[in-house]
Amino acid sequence: MSCEGVLSHLSRLEVQARSRKTQPQQRSRVTELKAAAEQLRMQREQLRGGGGDAQGGYDAIETRQGQGLCLSLPTAYDGVFLETYNLEIDVKPTPRIVRHNIPPFIPLSDLVEQSDMQTDLRTFLDTLSQHLNAFSGRKQQLKLLKELHKSVEVMESNALCSILVMMVTVPKEKTAVLCTLDYTDHTRCLPTRVHFECNGKLLADSPDWDKIRSLLLETPVHKALSDIRTMGNIV
Amino acid sequence: MDDSARRLLQRLIRRIPAQMLKTTLEKWGRLTAAQKQSMDFTEPKWAFTERLLDICEDNGWTGKHITELEMTYVIENPNQGMWYAFQLMDPEDDARSVELTHFKEQFKSHLSELARPVSVKIKKHADDAIWIRIAWGDSFSRPNHLKPTYVVHHLQTPYVFVTSLTSKQKPFLSQALVLSTRHQAIKDASLSGRKLGAIRDLLMRQYQQVFPTSYPSPLAERNGTVSNPQIEKEQAKSAENRLQMACEAFGDGMLPQLQSSVYKLETKFKDHTNKTMTEREEPFRCVVKFASTNLLESLRHCASSGIASTPVTPLLSSIPLKGRNYFVIKDNGPGPSSQTRQTQN
Repeated sequence: MSCEGVLSHLSRLEVQARSRKTQPQQRSRVTELKAAAEQLRMQREQLRGGGGDAQGGYDAIETRQGQGLCLSLPTAYDGVFLETYNLEIDVKPTPRIVRHNIPPFIPLSDLVEQSDMQTDLRTFLDTLSQHLNAFSGRKQQLKLLKELHKSVEVMESNALCSILVMMVTVPKEKTAVLCTLDYTDHTRCLPTRVHFECNGKLLADSPDWDKIRSLLLETPVHKALSDIRTMGNIV
Repeated sequence: MDDSARRLLQRLIRRIPAQMLKTTLEKWGRLTAAQKQSMDFTEPKWAFTERLLDICEDNGWTGKHITELEMTYVIENPNQGMWYAFQLMDPEDDARSVELTHFKEQFKSHLSELARPVSVKIKKHADDAIWIRIAWGDSFSRPNHLKPTYVVHHLQTPYVFVTSLTSKQKPFLSQALVLSTRHQAIKDASLSGRKLGAIRDLLMRQYQQVFPTSYPSPLAERNGTVSNPQIEKEQAKSAENRLQMACEAFGDGMLPQLQSSVYKLETKFKDHTNKTMTEREEPFRCVVKFASTNLLESLRHCASSGIASTPVTPLLSSIPLKGRNYFVIKDNGPGPSSQTRQTQN
């Protein structure tokens, strides 16, 4: 078997994995560790800041005889690799993005305006990566929530996954409570605000609901709901 | 049920293909199990309509319910007529936090103020798409439910997709959208097609784009099935390059189905052998249209097979890159991106 055959085979597998619509079964320890390593690497790059190969960690390759730069922004959440996003940048005369596959609800043009791509490309990439990872994470949580908690009805969500309204049932009174999670910080995977409504009115504070609120603020929603169910507060 | 509602239902049942009647009524969800049982989907449509009208009368349903049924049908089968894409510009600071209830209230209230009388129905689809049905009236008549406009929008994205909108109605819709989504302006995105999903996927980048990577191209491997090792492809390398460039320009796998691309030329005529034309002062106006059942697929094939030269000319690669299929070409480069077009009258 020639070297070319092996490399092509590996890259074919990678393309297959990328293009598969459903997530590949990746619960193996090795892949988990790889994803964790990737996240740590990304954090390390962020902490390093400046110097050396400015595009470290983003698989930068040159295109168009050195005129262009193509970057890869992988996303991962909880040990699982998710979507990879790409950017193609024209380097001369000033860096500008010519092509990308970043969804339109990610504020790419705002981020471009706020950073200086010429002198500090890495900060721009890190911020963009933060937004993308947070989005992927929230999207993944929503997917898991729907899979694991069939008794919870998702009443509203949006493409950016920055708002989530769910209907849960309280076992004792069999009443329905509407939980709204606002993810106003789009660089985070956890909500910034949680409130509950029952029969059109906001629920009064009580130790039970305060506990549920803190769980939802501090833990990913699909995990928080599992905990809340174990506690017996919801069906 | 009044006459206009009856007429609407008759028209609607005539429009829905026989094989889709059952599923559409199912999705509508208004008929009870018993009523569903009593419907005979094999009888001729006029008889079917009569039976359905009876059920509507029994239940005291009105035109409102019929428009709901129509909306159910259109949402499931949107690929009728032409869809046009618009882009919202200059978002305000709170545009990113516009949420559904707020948008619905604001849109209905603004449109009613601008275009009284008007009948608006808004429905959120499972995939975060907001569907809006608008029946327009004027100072002399009630809203005309036989010619509704349909609008589709995903919150926190700048795109709006519209079908069946006249140029008279356009300013009202534009203003209502701009105000309720907290933007400052809206422009024509110069993209149209018969398939809503296709133009949406193109703008939202929901197709497989190909970027140069540091890995050897897997495309050639996948596509070049070697039938017999004794056969050597003479120009394998250049074929591989062409395929790579074609895929980088248009994408890999299934591409959004566009039907046409139009180039309006306003350039000076250039042909040394034809002095009369070349000497004219004004630009030579002409329109070039590429049409296909799957335009992007055809163009990709042109590039990969060598019919179109590679690297792919920006005139063609701009279609997926800029997400538009209407271009105005002037001598000093392609025209401004906000070239407006005549909408149907």
